[in-house]
Amino acid sequence: MIEVMVVLSTIVMFILFTKLYQRYPHPIMIPLVTTTIVSAVILLVFDIPYATYMKGGEWLQKMLGPAVVALAYPLYNQRAIIMKYKYSILSGLFIGMITGLVTIFGLLRWIGVKESWMLTALPKSLTTPVGMQVSEMIGGIPPLTAVFVMIAGFVGAIIGPLVIRYGKLDTAVSRGVAIGSASHGVGLVKLREYGEQELSVGSLSMGLTAVIGAFFCPLFVYLFM
Amino acid sequence: MKSGKMLNENFVAIFLRVVRIIVQIGILNIYYYLGVGIVSYLHIPLPGSIVGLLLLVLSLIFKLIKVEYIQDGAGFLIGVLTLFFIPATVGVIDYPELMSGTGLLIILAVIASTLISIYVTGLLTQIIEKKELAKKEMAIKEEKGELTVD
Repeated sequence: MIEVMVVLSTIVMFILFTKLYQRYPHPIMIPLVTTTIVSAVILLVFDIPYATYMKGGEWLQKMLGPAVVALAYPLYNQRAIIMKYKYSILSGLFIGMITGLVTIFGLLRWIGVKESWMLTALPKSLTTPVGMQVSEMIGGIPPLTAVFVMIAGFVGAIIGPLVIRYGKLDTAVSRGVAIGSASHGVGLVKLREYGEQELSVGSLSMGLTAVIGAFFCPLFVYLFM
Repeated sequence: MKSGKMLNENFVAIFLRVVRIIVQIGILNIYYYLGVGIVSYLHIPLPGSIVGLLLLVLSLIFKLIKVEYIQDGAGFLIGVLTLFFIPATVGVIDYPELMSGTGLLIILAVIASTLISIYVTGLLTQIIEKKELAKKEMAIKEEKGELTVD
């Protein structure tokens, strides 16, 4: 019963907030942000445990698998531009991976946090399922990693467009690689609004960053920690 | 009478579209579970969805499956992609310690690191991309040059 209620209410809220976003297209109004905040507030106010909510939430989360597979479609459609810029995309991905790891490592060292927090935050630019697996591998706290992954995604979706505008990232390839490698699927939601080229380069970047990151993150920990 | 018929045709069209989307999501699910199976069988430390994605791209490239068989389902799922991230994101409420001083500092660090990554990656990629493009244009020009010499 609770399962159906969670799924239905989430879908209804999502549709309403999507309509609202179409009317007021401000970055802070993206349906992911608004629906999440309202859901979290409802759970807190009515004192519903997250585990109870997840009985229904799981159903929606299960769709993430086929939805990630679906990204093969824009990837296939745009294979010409990807092949044309393969060296730029590949080198961009490595730059993104290294910049992400080095900056979070440096910042957290500077703040002086516990090692377990550090290991939890390192996989933040990998897509949720990979990020959580890597976190477990290196000794982080996987559900908390999921939260950091989401924050990295939100940054790409909400502030990313400002970086694109003021940083003068004018090409589909640079936008796709930058957002896809730093902000994974959540960032892709925003890239979709730029166009299919951005979206396909972005989904390729997300996928490859996950693949490269699954090997690179543990290696980084082994070398520097 | 006429409008009733049109409404009927409209309804049939929508119904067929919904069925097509559902069947195509089924095909995407098959690829997903293929990916999950391969990952658990070979013990690869990767999520099944990424392997499924790669399998589907390869199937499309090698024409094992027509793009028409998945495009409506894929388009629909990508359109509502955000919806599937919501449950994981709501998980924040289980970590009140994130709202402590250290927690907030870590969040700030994640935000800063992500912003720096986006900017640095985008900027360098753009520079490399322009060089790659210039090189290709040079190559094309050289080819043309040879042709005129010949």
